[in-house]
Amino acid sequence: MSGSYGTFSTKQEEKRKRTIPDRVLIRRVYEYAQANKRNLQIGVAATIIGAFTGLAAPYMHAIAIDHIITPKNLSEFIWWIPLFATIILGNYVFQYIQTYQMRIVGEKVVAEMRDDMMEKLQVISLRYFSEGEAGRIISRPTNDANTVRIFIRVGLTSILVDVSSILGAFAIMFYLDLRLSLLAISVLPVAIMLVWYLGKYSRAAYRKTLITTSGLTARLQEDLAGIKVTQAHAQEKEAEKKFLKSQDENVKATIRAILIGSSYTPFVIALRLIGTMIILFFGVMALTSVPPTITLGILVAFVEYQFSYFMPLVDLVTMYDQYQSCMSAIERMFDVIDTKVEVVDAQPERSITLQ
Amino acid sequence: MSVAKPLLEYAKSLKPQKGFAQSYSAFKRLLQYHRRYPWHITAIVILAVIRSFLFSLEPLYTTFIIINVIGSPPTIPSNTSLLPGYLLVIILAGIGYAITNFTLTYVHGVMSQYIVRDIRTEYYRALQGKSFSFYDSVGVGDLTSRATVDLQLVDMFLRTWLGTVLNAVFTTIIIISIILPISPLMTLISMATMPLIFYFTTRLWINTMPLFRNMQLIMGRLTSYIQQNIIGMKTIRIFRRERDIVDGFKGVEDIYVNTAITAGKIQSIYMPLGPALLTLGATLVYVYAGITLGVPGSAMAVAQIGYLILFVRYMMRLTFPIRDVSQTLGTWIAAYAGLERVQEMTDAPRNVEDTPNARDVKIEKGKLELENVTFGYAKDRPVLNNITFTVKPGEKIAILGATGSGKSTLIYLIPRFYDVQEGSIKIDGIDIREFKLASLRKQIGVVLQDVFLFSGTIKENIAFGKPDASTEEIVKAAKSARIHDFIESLPCGYDTPVGERGITLSGGQKQRITIARALVGNPRMLIMDDSLSFVDSKTEQEIQSAIEEATRTRTTLIIAQRFSTIKTAKKILVLENGSVAEFGTHEQLIAKNGVYKKVYETQFIQKASPILDEAGGS
Repeated sequence: MSGSYGTFSTKQEEKRKRTIPDRVLIRRVYEYAQANKRNLQIGVAATIIGAFTGLAAPYMHAIAIDHIITPKNLSEFIWWIPLFATIILGNYVFQYIQTYQMRIVGEKVVAEMRDDMMEKLQVISLRYFSEGEAGRIISRPTNDANTVRIFIRVGLTSILVDVSSILGAFAIMFYLDLRLSLLAISVLPVAIMLVWYLGKYSRAAYRKTLITTSGLTARLQEDLAGIKVTQAHAQEKEAEKKFLKSQDENVKATIRAILIGSSYTPFVIALRLIGTMIILFFGVMALTSVPPTITLGILVAFVEYQFSYFMPLVDLVTMYDQYQSCMSAIERMFDVIDTKVEVVDAQPERSITLQ
Repeated sequence: MSVAKPLLEYAKSLKPQKGFAQSYSAFKRLLQYHRRYPWHITAIVILAVIRSFLFSLEPLYTTFIIINVIGSPPTIPSNTSLLPGYLLVIILAGIGYAITNFTLTYVHGVMSQYIVRDIRTEYYRALQGKSFSFYDSVGVGDLTSRATVDLQLVDMFLRTWLGTVLNAVFTTIIIISIILPISPLMTLISMATMPLIFYFTTRLWINTMPLFRNMQLIMGRLTSYIQQNIIGMKTIRIFRRERDIVDGFKGVEDIYVNTAITAGKIQSIYMPLGPALLTLGATLVYVYAGITLGVPGSAMAVAQIGYLILFVRYMMRLTFPIRDVSQTLGTWIAAYAGLERVQEMTDAPRNVEDTPNARDVKIEKGKLELENVTFGYAKDRPVLNNITFTVKPGEKIAILGATGSGKSTLIYLIPRFYDVQEGSIKIDGIDIREFKLASLRKQIGVVLQDVFLFSGTIKENIAFGKPDASTEEIVKAAKSARIHDFIESLPCGYDTPVGERGITLSGGQKQRITIARALVGNPRMLIMDDSLSFVDSKTEQEIQSAIEEATRTRTTLIIAQRFSTIKTAKKILVLENGSVAEFGTHEQLIAKNGVYKKVYETQFIQKASPILDEAGGS
């Protein structure tokens, strides 16, 4: 009577153990990207170069402070301005290429996978569509495909940008000052562990909201499927009471998840600031020692770089969840694509036309 | 014609031009929901001001360190004694920022959940009031997904939007008010690119919003297309329409993919512009600072360099609020399409509601009069035409007619599942529109064509129409419906769960539970639709005796699928093409020698009649 099509069956399924290793799944998705190989290569290259050019600003500022402005060597602006302008322009162009190309890849790959699923659905055994299964099947070309689409579009790019930014920032910092770099990254392990640890609680709270959400969905679906009965017996008020109760549970669980989910940001921010403080303290010490071991420009660049690698790092850790659910979605999509066809049509030349 | 043709035409018909003005009115409507939470909003505003202020402190104190601590040895000696104090301010501001940020996120999240709850409750209440004709045209799956999936999109926007917008505004204001007194000209230079950034962000929004909206609308339709494909797979295989289905799907998907790529192209042009312009502005500040710098090593030069660093770092800091606002606009696009889908249903007309002078009326006798009743699901296409007949209190009327003759429609007019277009229906001489809906429906026992049980126990299902029913009342209803013995035979008796997680009942058992459900309130009148359509002869007998018992003293209209039902009726009403063809007792109609007699004879001779055997009403 009431069909639970799509939506939450996917989330219930997420608990199912995965069987295919990530690398196999990634390789198979990569095969789908073959048709747009060019776009993918250009997109990835632009993403990485774009991330590196994005890191240039603090370094260029350091040069300007130390070598041009402080000693008032204004003639040096002659090369500094065009160079910086070129970097900014380059950064813009690479970001443009990255966004556009990755979008093409994401949309086309998922569209092709979806097409294959649709083709397959038309030929696989009808047993596959038995009652109760429909919801699970429907969510594959819809919800699952959408999860993958969004991940390729946003997640994959973020991972590339984040990793490049972090590595790039580290490279520049170590190049500028080894000792200060080591001090700057000293808070990192704590931050990563904290995000990872609190992330576990947040995931648990999030799962709880999924359970209450599917409870609410089931309630809604039943209420709507039986609405004629409810109206016939004038029991709308009673039904509403039950619905509101189920909704309140969902609201409470979600609020709790929000509370836990946002609880690690204060710690991360505090750790970042402790990092900044360490840099400022030792930096100022180095700067005021006789003779100074670093320059003002480098100190300021360090403070900025600290800002620019910390957030990508936190981003990466939280991205792990998205990556996991994307992999599960991909596995489920291939599950449809790989289903064996039991009843195969005869070859066209052998088919018989009834007279 | 391809199966997907209407969908393809729909996708093509979506014009990207419109949407902006509609989005604005949708936003205004969304704001209305915020009005119920003035304290949350006040808290968010205050916290946002504090957060923006604390956010601006670190660059400011780093500059103080540069100017006052580092100095410019040897001309201006360093003064490290001030360093701990400055660092303390930085770390305290940071902790304060972290706590404020956390509190703001939480308060914002709570408010968003309350608003989503309010919207969903409003949606739910609106749906409860819709008439049967509404539910005849929309699917349960679609209605559910609007209240869940679409509302999730609204939720995503509600979680952060106000905080993000306030953050951008307050951070800009606070930063400008710090740097303006230091150097108005440098402030002007550093902020020169701001209007451009604002302009491009707006352009990005205006250009992509309609595209994203179209994508979402197309995806919504595609999803139900896939649903229908999967649910109706058997039929598709039988008629060999598989190729059609896939080709149609691909055609629409192409439009979707192309729209997504076009939107991506626009985004890729505009999105990286903001940060690029800001960095460009920073370059200008460097050049200006270089030109105006005092004598190297002088106190003035030290201060100028300190402030230069402050200006540039503030500009870099502004990229975050700008980026966040852009992202929020993105979530709004999705939220807007979702909200539109929710409110489309909330706003759909109710069709049947209490009239202004409706009151609680007790049905004393149960006399039913229909006078010139005309009704159609669409205007000008009447299903029932000028129907007039009267049922005396306690009489049982069997209604006969072919599929599509309007049998179900006719009986559903009595509890006002639909409203008559012309004519009137009276109970005990009072027009049913003078009854309050709840009062009318509670006094009419209804057995619908669909056998629907809610998940819960058998007891709860029987008592559905009267939640405060006593055990005696429930057992009495079950006995009348001839289901008591079966229930007693179950291990948990009346507490046996049914529905998805409960035991599986046969069609006949479910049928009798629904009859018990209709009887538990001891209604004066009873209407029964199609209750014997899919049962075997043994079950038929059982249900028949249940019906006989149930209808003994009540005014009853019953749609008769089998002759056994007709036998027990006082009078028979034969419907043909929405009009009363014959109405009278068995003997009268036989004497009349019309449709009924023909049906009666075939029923006796063949045990099956073309009219009577057709399942399904209209």
